[in-house]
Amino acid sequence: MNQTATPTDLSNPFAGRRPGRRWISRGVAALCIISTGLALAVLFVVLSYIGIRGFEYITPAFFTNLPLQSPEGMRNCIIGTVILVMLASVLGVPLGMLCGIYLAEYAGKSLFTHAARLVIDLLAGTPTILLGVIAWQLVVVPMHHQSGWSGALALAFIMVPIIARATEEMLRLVPHPHREASAGLGASQAQTLMLVILPAAKAGIATGIMLAIARVAGETAPLLFTALGNDQAVYDPNQPYPSLTLKIWQYSQSAELSWRHQAWTGVLALVTLVLVFTAAVRFAVRDRK
Amino acid sequence: MGVPGTRIRPGTPFVYFTAGASLAVRFRKGIRVARIDMTGMTGSEPVEQTFAYAPQNGWRKWLDRAVYGLALGGVLLTMAILLTIFVVLIHGSWLALGRIGWHFFTTQAWNPVPGRDQYGVLAFMYGTGITTLLALVFGVPLSLGVAIFITRLSPRWLAGPVSFLVELLAAIPSIAYGLWGCFVMSPWLQNYLEPAIYAVLRHIKLFPVGKYPSGRIEFFPANLVRGGPSGSDFLAGGLILTIMVLPIITAITRDVLRQFPAELEQGAYGLGATWWQTTRLALGYCRAGIFGAVMLGMARAIGETMAVIMVIGNTDSISASLFAGGQSMSGVLANEFMEADHPIYLSAMFYVALVLMVSSLLTNVSARLLLSRISGGKGTH
Repeated sequence: MNQTATPTDLSNPFAGRRPGRRWISRGVAALCIISTGLALAVLFVVLSYIGIRGFEYITPAFFTNLPLQSPEGMRNCIIGTVILVMLASVLGVPLGMLCGIYLAEYAGKSLFTHAARLVIDLLAGTPTILLGVIAWQLVVVPMHHQSGWSGALALAFIMVPIIARATEEMLRLVPHPHREASAGLGASQAQTLMLVILPAAKAGIATGIMLAIARVAGETAPLLFTALGNDQAVYDPNQPYPSLTLKIWQYSQSAELSWRHQAWTGVLALVTLVLVFTAAVRFAVRDRK
Repeated sequence: MGVPGTRIRPGTPFVYFTAGASLAVRFRKGIRVARIDMTGMTGSEPVEQTFAYAPQNGWRKWLDRAVYGLALGGVLLTMAILLTIFVVLIHGSWLALGRIGWHFFTTQAWNPVPGRDQYGVLAFMYGTGITTLLALVFGVPLSLGVAIFITRLSPRWLAGPVSFLVELLAAIPSIAYGLWGCFVMSPWLQNYLEPAIYAVLRHIKLFPVGKYPSGRIEFFPANLVRGGPSGSDFLAGGLILTIMVLPIITAITRDVLRQFPAELEQGAYGLGATWWQTTRLALGYCRAGIFGAVMLGMARAIGETMAVIMVIGNTDSISASLFAGGQSMSGVLANEFMEADHPIYLSAMFYVALVLMVSSLLTNVSARLLLSRISGGKGTH
């Protein structure tokens, strides 16, 4: 080829022919810093509004009274959300863990494994309101009325894929020689799993479970048709169930000013619950060096 | 440590010793923790099976089988859940599928009064589509900016806290965003941002007025801001979704950008590339993963319910105006599912749910396909 033309073309694909490229570079870097600042500003603004408005209207009655009592409160809703999430965990945690154990320890490279992984990913991506519709059809229609169980089922559907993926990843992190050593001692696969792998991964799995709990504690859409909400201190899962998120939604739609104030306090309680949980998890399992 | 392909015979002392030592050392270090963050994303490499467990007898054989059966049963049950979703949605919408059929996608009107019974998903699909589009238009550049800042710009001590704070955006429940959007963002939009946009954009005539059949369908407004500032409109829906897709797209893009090989970066700098030229190289190298991240953000936006219905205005209009109110598919489900008191109405609600499920499924599948290409560890030029 032409020896004289190539050196400038080949040697420098970046420099030359682009006047001002250093200024472009600085400009883009500045834009990246600005977008980061914007994202953090949004977080700050949202959290401070929730904090300020929530604290403004907070009263002791909020934690001790029921929605229809004279200084109104949300005691039953807070307790209801906690119990609802516990019921959902009872249904969702074992199932999610079993899926994760299968995918990490038993799955080969077969078509079935790919299908299972895809299904779990798709379940994780399903709009949560649809899981509410499913739980409505499966539980509310046969029972003829809304109930805590149907809400718990909808939340469990959300938990399963999160916990499955977390468990799978955590089991994968257990160093392979652990399994080899256990097999070398003559342990069976089930013994290895229960006595070596799961104990080693338990902190990580617990993290995944707690993140799933934090996630479903803030869910509203799947509970609209299932738990329905309840103004009484009724904690029987066969009855319509009180829930903090549902109460916030209901109050935010009303024109009554004191109810809107209650909604802000409710959101403060909810966000505190979720964020403290999430941050605690994050700091409890930081990568120690 | 296992040589790949060797079978370990039970009770071999040498293997016991070496592997046992390794066991102790690893235990002392504690387990490493992979990333599971608030966006629900995880990632690690698959484990190679290098040995086989010894054949077992008696109760241990049965224990093995029982545990395997339980795990397999769990997976099958989970697969059954997804199947159940489809069965329930198709079963529920069967009546509407037969009576309305394809007209569902060509009708804008939504009139559930018994006797009238007009059902069309078009307005709701448009509402979901336009808010999702707006969220991506605002959210993708913003998320890429944050991800580039974290991976390629920020000092090391700052990267972790910024990552954590941006991920925190994903931990805030959607009802909290909804309440904030409804009582803080919407009034602010109505009083400050939208009048400013209106002052500029109302002079730009987009479509010739009066040439299109008027009536309930007003898809072609005179300009992009027809109707004037209201605060509860497509723009508000798009903005609140922007906040919600930001942490997802940022987290995945950040992880993908970290896979950009150091040799390429050093090579580019060595050739005299500027920081931005090198970053563009990284963005191009990781583009499949970034598209996957965008698709996952899009799936989140399509499925989001509470935050959107609180700011979108809740009307069934279709308008290219940013300031027009609308409704999303998930929003109409949340608002009207419980009010569906006659069979065809309820069936139409299930039909909306089915359309929502299929759109979210398609988005998710394409996202996973794009992301699985990079998690295979191959470059993506």
